[in-house]
Amino acid sequence: MNLKGLLNSTTIADRILLFILILLSLSGIFFIKEVLPKGQIVRIEINGHPVYLLPIEKDRIVSVNGSEGNTIVEIKNHKVRITESPCDNKLCIQQGWIEKGSIVCLPNRVVVIIGTPEDESNKRVDAITG
Amino acid sequence: MDTLVTITVVSSSKDSAEKAIDTAFSEIEKLEKLFDFFSPDSEISLINKNAGISEVKVSQDTLDILDKALYVSEKTEGAFDATIGAVITLYDFYKKVNPEDSSIKKNLSLVNYRYLTIDRNKSTAFLKKRGMYIDLGGISKGYAADNAVETLKRNRIHSGLVSVAGDIKAFGLKPDGKPWKIGIRNPRAKGQEDDIMATIELTDMAISTSGDYERSFINDGKRYHHLLNPRTGYPAEGCQSVSIITKEGAFTDAFATGIFILGPEKGIKTLEKMGFDGVIVDSQGKVHTTPHIRGKVEFKRSS
Repeated sequence: MNLKGLLNSTTIADRILLFILILLSLSGIFFIKEVLPKGQIVRIEINGHPVYLLPIEKDRIVSVNGSEGNTIVEIKNHKVRITESPCDNKLCIQQGWIEKGSIVCLPNRVVVIIGTPEDESNKRVDAITG
Repeated sequence: MDTLVTITVVSSSKDSAEKAIDTAFSEIEKLEKLFDFFSPDSEISLINKNAGISEVKVSQDTLDILDKALYVSEKTEGAFDATIGAVITLYDFYKKVNPEDSSIKKNLSLVNYRYLTIDRNKSTAFLKKRGMYIDLGGISKGYAADNAVETLKRNRIHSGLVSVAGDIKAFGLKPDGKPWKIGIRNPRAKGQEDDIMATIELTDMAISTSGDYERSFINDGKRYHHLLNPRTGYPAEGCQSVSIITKEGAFTDAFATGIFILGPEKGIKTLEKMGFDGVIVDSQGKVHTTPHIRGKVEFKRSS
């Protein structure tokens, strides 16, 4: 039996079922893409302790309280920057937008890191040089 | 130093571990105050301000680090030079500005480690020419890791790891009886900073890496990074990254810079002469190692 013959022998109910099944499987792609995070996470730490784990997809502004005062972190268009900091040298602000890596504000003990939630290579070693 | 410092210790008591870590952090902060080139009243800034004028009385730590810096300069034929300050300050790695050729040429005469003298008896340091500038950025992180480890040991910690922005010193064994496992960053990592090209197990050893990807920018298709050749005032070509392994962090740090500037062939020869281990990734991405280290480094298959 060829494909045409196969289609001819289906009932309307069969076709509706087939259509629903295709729709369901396509919606799975949409569901996974939209609902599950794409992997990049913005981690904000104070004194080495994580205080925020934020998906990089969602634009937002958060304020964290470091050892000298409030540091304002902005997430926008998959990028991160520090907009306000109580430190003297403001090197963290000067660094501007980052898409990867980290921003360290030593005076205020604030670290902002972009990474994947469960980094395999990171877990396998005790420290990284470079 | 505005860098990420991590201290890990193995101890049976949480209290003594925390106390030791706090003391080690204070030690690093103390050194930062002495060596910081941005802070106007650090000892290094005082030496810089009095360049060509007078000797400056300095602490034991400053004498020590300058002494080690001069030693590395001699052993690398001046490729590592702590007086690179007069040229490196012409570059702005934040604003991505490289200087005019004429200003580099002008300041190049102010870069020469032979014009830096220290007097151990009088505890003084002196830069002979006005306008000279010491920048300890290529040695201070490794030196700080050394001192932090000594501080931990004095506080009866027998095993631990200190990383000052990737200048790492490890001692003792982990609780599972294994040495510390260190990842070497892939110099052409796509995206992630923790993309590593190799791992090595270490104990009672330091490791540092200098790479053309740190503090760098691309202008007119040319990569400008902070590892400047003291002879030309321009970023050294020939390597992507250099990792050095030996007992002292001050040496791994400074030799990583010096060997990067010397390039792969001369670099490996110098390391063999010194009895140090090293992994060099040249500008084509080819890996060179010292003979001793082969079999100890585990390379990941390139992706």
